Amino acid sequence: MATVLEKKKTVRMNGCVAAAQAAKYADVDVITAYPIRPYTATMMALAQMVANGELDAEYIVADSEHSQLSIAHGAASSGARVFTGSSGVGVQFAYELYAPISGSRMPVQMMIADRTLDPPGDFGSEHTDALSTRDMGWLMGWSATAQEAFDNHLMGYRIGEDRRVLLPQMVCQDGFFVSHIQGEVELPDPGQVKEFLPPYKHPYPLDPHHPVSHGPQIMPEQGPPLQLERARAMEGAVPVIEEIHEEFARIFGRKYDPWIEEYMTDDAEVVFFLQGAHGVTAKFAIKHMRDRGAKVGLVRLRTIRPYPTDRVCQILSRFKVVGVIETNLGLGSVSSGGVLYQEVAAALYESANRPLVFSFMAGLGGEAIVLKEFYWMTQKMLETQKRGKIEKRTHWVGFEE
Amino acid sequence: MATVIEVKRQELPLFSSPNQGARFYNPELPRTEPFVPGHRTCAGCGPSIQYRMTSKAAGDNTILVGPTGCMYVANSSYLCTPYNVPWAHTQIGSSGSFTAGVSAAYEAMIRKGKWKGTFPNIICEAGDGSSSDIALASISGALYRNHDCMIICYDNEQYANTGIQASSRTPYGGMTTFTPPGAMIPEGKKLFPKDLARMMAAGHPHCYVATASVGYPIDLMNKVRKGLNFKGAAFLMIYTPCQKGFVYETPRSIDLGRLVVECGLYPIWEWDNEKRAYNHSFRPASMRPVAEYLKLQGRFLHLHKEHIATLQKFANDQWRMMGVALPPELVAAENPDTQADMSSAEMAAAVAQTV
Repeated sequence: MATVLEKKKTVRMNGCVAAAQAAKYADVDVITAYPIRPYTATMMALAQMVANGELDAEYIVADSEHSQLSIAHGAASSGARVFTGSSGVGVQFAYELYAPISGSRMPVQMMIADRTLDPPGDFGSEHTDALSTRDMGWLMGWSATAQEAFDNHLMGYRIGEDRRVLLPQMVCQDGFFVSHIQGEVELPDPGQVKEFLPPYKHPYPLDPHHPVSHGPQIMPEQGPPLQLERARAMEGAVPVIEEIHEEFARIFGRKYDPWIEEYMTDDAEVVFFLQGAHGVTAKFAIKHMRDRGAKVGLVRLRTIRPYPTDRVCQILSRFKVVGVIETNLGLGSVSSGGVLYQEVAAALYESANRPLVFSFMAGLGGEAIVLKEFYWMTQKMLETQKRGKIEKRTHWVGFEE
Repeated sequence: MATVIEVKRQELPLFSSPNQGARFYNPELPRTEPFVPGHRTCAGCGPSIQYRMTSKAAGDNTILVGPTGCMYVANSSYLCTPYNVPWAHTQIGSSGSFTAGVSAAYEAMIRKGKWKGTFPNIICEAGDGSSSDIALASISGALYRNHDCMIICYDNEQYANTGIQASSRTPYGGMTTFTPPGAMIPEGKKLFPKDLARMMAAGHPHCYVATASVGYPIDLMNKVRKGLNFKGAAFLMIYTPCQKGFVYETPRSIDLGRLVVECGLYPIWEWDNEKRAYNHSFRPASMRPVAEYLKLQGRFLHLHKEHIATLQKFANDQWRMMGVALPPELVAAENPDTQADMSSAEMAAAVAQTV
């Protein structure tokens, strides 16, 4: 694989390789791998880069995802820049470590190419794996293309390692739809990365020159201030994320709204709300539906942690109907569908102009959400607008007339 | 690729004192105290005695890793720490993996010029619950990959911090709150302990592996230094009695550390990774029947004579594995008729209720 590049250059690659390229540009010190589809291809690419001498890093094949994350925690605690990743049940095997890593404020970066959980032992994309860890104190968001994944990985390090933040990051992409489908990725000049991403320097690493103790036992009354500090780090990340997206645009010339991408929303009355790669198909569907006169648009969430509550409220209040495409499972949850519904509904609670909100269960088990399903969903939203009332909180797409 | 800086490693001299001497004072011992007093461990705590010896032998260019267990919970209290060197808590199942991460970080950071200094001693202090149960795979991974680090199993033969529960290292007949003796199960623990150190030596023959006991401090500290000097992974399993769980008189911790070896219940050996052979040359000053060790501890006071005979047979097998010829008295002690029931079984039961 040709991965050595002198100057910036556009190359076709899939999301997995884009993530690996970002780790290489970030000059990571320690990489920990454990195989599980579909994210494995990222680690395969990195293994080759290390073998070729393109990247000087310790590449550790761990004995489990739990060990992967523990190695990452130990290495980050010592002052190394760390890259790891997983998919599906692997994300959950490591669950114990998410709270200690954010609690010790170690900016470990984890690449997620999402995957269904077992059962049914399916390789396909579903957001449930990473979403189940959403309240563990990790910065989290989904990329919809390989280019966006590359950019989010670089920005993730810069945001997480900022002294005002110091939090780990889950940089997620849809399994297969992004991880295994090639797209054009503009790889930067190393000088641009040098300007954007300074070397990692944790303020209190495990350094024999300056001894510190990490993570001692606390008494109950010492718990709340520590938790408050971590909560404030998450809140405090909001302006830092905005500032770093600006700086990214200045240096690399690609400008993202850090929180939300809007598509054809200017005069829209009904909108889809979703995360990740299905947004690409949604745009095609919306174009077709627009041709037929439907005032439909798309609101794609780019960062779910920290959650942009005010932005979501302000943006979604402009519309009459919001159809949340879940791509995740929240069994027995508020809407008895997925977990995004409650994020949307809660953000809108204080709005004076609440739209009607309901969920679509679509894209589960790694199924593509095809155009005709988007048409069907648009129809449901338009009917709801006409009726002025939702039919039910959750529709299972493909199981209803 | 940027210039690669050579990683310089420490070479710690061995102590010349004989293994069984220097019990109270030894001028060769370094003055440094990476592990200072003032923590909340029990009086006579075997693991913390071991901790002091180990960290003294390692010196100040050391990083300690503390998976959940007594040596985490009782030692570290937020805003107060007994560690004069860097220390980090990790999860009980992360002993080998977190330690591997620290080691890998220093390899990369020194090589890439991001940290200047001699490679630190990286020591993980894991309890036997962590080492023999929940972190077994994690430690095996660290040994297999041969990270430059040392994993210590401070073996108090139980989960003590959680209130005395059986681990895979709890001996046959040992009373714990998960293996209480009763009419149906008079011996308490029915299973024999996992031979953890031999597992580690057999499965990772390229590593330095040894057993030690707090009863023999110089032997213990020399093994720490040998393990640290070895460029690669080392595993030490160290007998560290627990006054709370074993139920004995506090000042006898070091005595128990010798008796357990003299009774053949804790073989002391080294795995020579160069010769790929066990070194069984360590010999205690005397050999004794197991009852002399058992009778000092409340956790064994419910045992009947057949249980004691079973433990004697277990000890005799360990002596044979070490290639030691057995005196006829010890062979004869395998016969239950030569043993007597522990007299204070009722008292022991009362103790069990208070744990």
